[in-house]
Amino acid sequence: MGDSQYSFSLTTFSPSGKLVQIEHALTAVGSGQTSLGIKAANGVVIATEKKLPSILVDEASVQKIQCLTPNIGVVYSGMGPDFRVLVRKSRKQAVQYHQLYKEAIPVTQLVRETAAVMQEFTQSGGVRPFGVSLLVAGFDDSGPQLFQVDPSGSYFSWKASAMGKNVSNAKTFLEKRYTDEIELEDAVHTAILTLKEGFEGQISGKNIEIGIIGEDKIFRVLTPAEIEDYLAEVE
Amino acid sequence: MSRGSGGGYDRHITIFSPEGRLFQVEYAFKAVKSAGITSIGVRGKDSVCVVTQKKVPDKLLDQTSVTHLFPITKFLGLLATGMTADARTLVSQARNEAADFRFKNGYEMPVDVLANWIANKSQIYTQHAYMRPLGVVAMVLGIDEETGPQLYKCDPAGHYFGHKATSAGLKEQEAINFLEKKMKNDPSFTYEETVQTAISALQSVLQEDFKATEIEVGVVKKENPVFRVLSTEEIDEHLTAISERD
Repeated sequence: MGDSQYSFSLTTFSPSGKLVQIEHALTAVGSGQTSLGIKAANGVVIATEKKLPSILVDEASVQKIQCLTPNIGVVYSGMGPDFRVLVRKSRKQAVQYHQLYKEAIPVTQLVRETAAVMQEFTQSGGVRPFGVSLLVAGFDDSGPQLFQVDPSGSYFSWKASAMGKNVSNAKTFLEKRYTDEIELEDAVHTAILTLKEGFEGQISGKNIEIGIIGEDKIFRVLTPAEIEDYLAEVE
Repeated sequence: MSRGSGGGYDRHITIFSPEGRLFQVEYAFKAVKSAGITSIGVRGKDSVCVVTQKKVPDKLLDQTSVTHLFPITKFLGLLATGMTADARTLVSQARNEAADFRFKNGYEMPVDVLANWIANKSQIYTQHAYMRPLGVVAMVLGIDEETGPQLYKCDPAGHYFGHKATSAGLKEQEAINFLEKKMKNDPSFTYEETVQTAISALQSVLQEDFKATEIEVGVVKKENPVFRVLSTEEIDEHLTAISERD
């Protein structure tokens, strides 16, 4: 990628040894809507705020949480258009893996390849880094997993994590409430409470999105009605 | 220590500013406004209508050649607000893409797929330095086989959403405020109501009453899902209906 005119990298080292474009990308992520993920003993839940620019927007046309494979889902904080690009590339990589090995791609492999793409865009000519951080939730033979991938291309496995505007409050909240034995249902409630902490306005099934994967290893996004049920339980 | 913006190029090409913003994309939005035109789109129960101003700056110009409404296929229309040259490039590529889709897949390109394609192309321009973002906001309309009437808006940043009603251009924010009030209780507009809401929104926001030759109107209806540009006579009928209603 990158045209011949721009065969030099736009992300270069500053005298202090920093890659400032990546730092700016992280700032872009930090001003995005809050999202979080929690790994339970028997599954993973990811959730995000879904604040749309106007009531005129048809919220059914927007889905922030996406499926990469039947057993891996992803959510983001940051720039939506950049997220779409990464989703497409990841889906293609998952399919190519399957064509070659005739088995479903393990979560760690998919995360690694997605992260590699993000790293390429910090080093290739004529391109800028992605302005998104991803939370990848999956369930494969190694059990439930949650990974966070940053614009730099670095990724870590997390028990629970948050990104976006309200990251510090959300992480503090999660640290208090997380236990290693937490069950998926409880994790969903905790996710909702964490989002509620920094939420401006009235939380409802229409302005948050929740995706879960349990022992059935099928990732799915909850319907607004299901979210309302959980919200009622949390009250 | 936070250094400056890498030599100040963050204003010239699409790299991040220290605040994590893309100035070139923001300037592209400003370019859309600087064209001086406002456009409105409204989705009804079984139809979609888009309206835009038709400003012909010179009497010697051939008015029929001045347009912002473009059919992409027989069933899909695109209203481009902003820089006309960028609009023509986009339309030309969209037409190619839609025809290719029909050829390869054997069925007509749906509205949201076209909107997705336009938005993905716009995203590339925000990430690769060799091309600047287009100074165009595109409203795509059509009747979807499964979900009915659809109105999508794609912007220079690569965002796209489905809308119940929306606006673009110079008086975008005023128009959206007006439309939010109208659409607050989730009304179900008939075809006539859809067209009249769109036209009266434009009139209200620009505070002038139009003649039929000063606006362009494009529609798609469920019973006849072909994208059509209304003739001056048809526009006149709607304008009369609006003034009688008020």
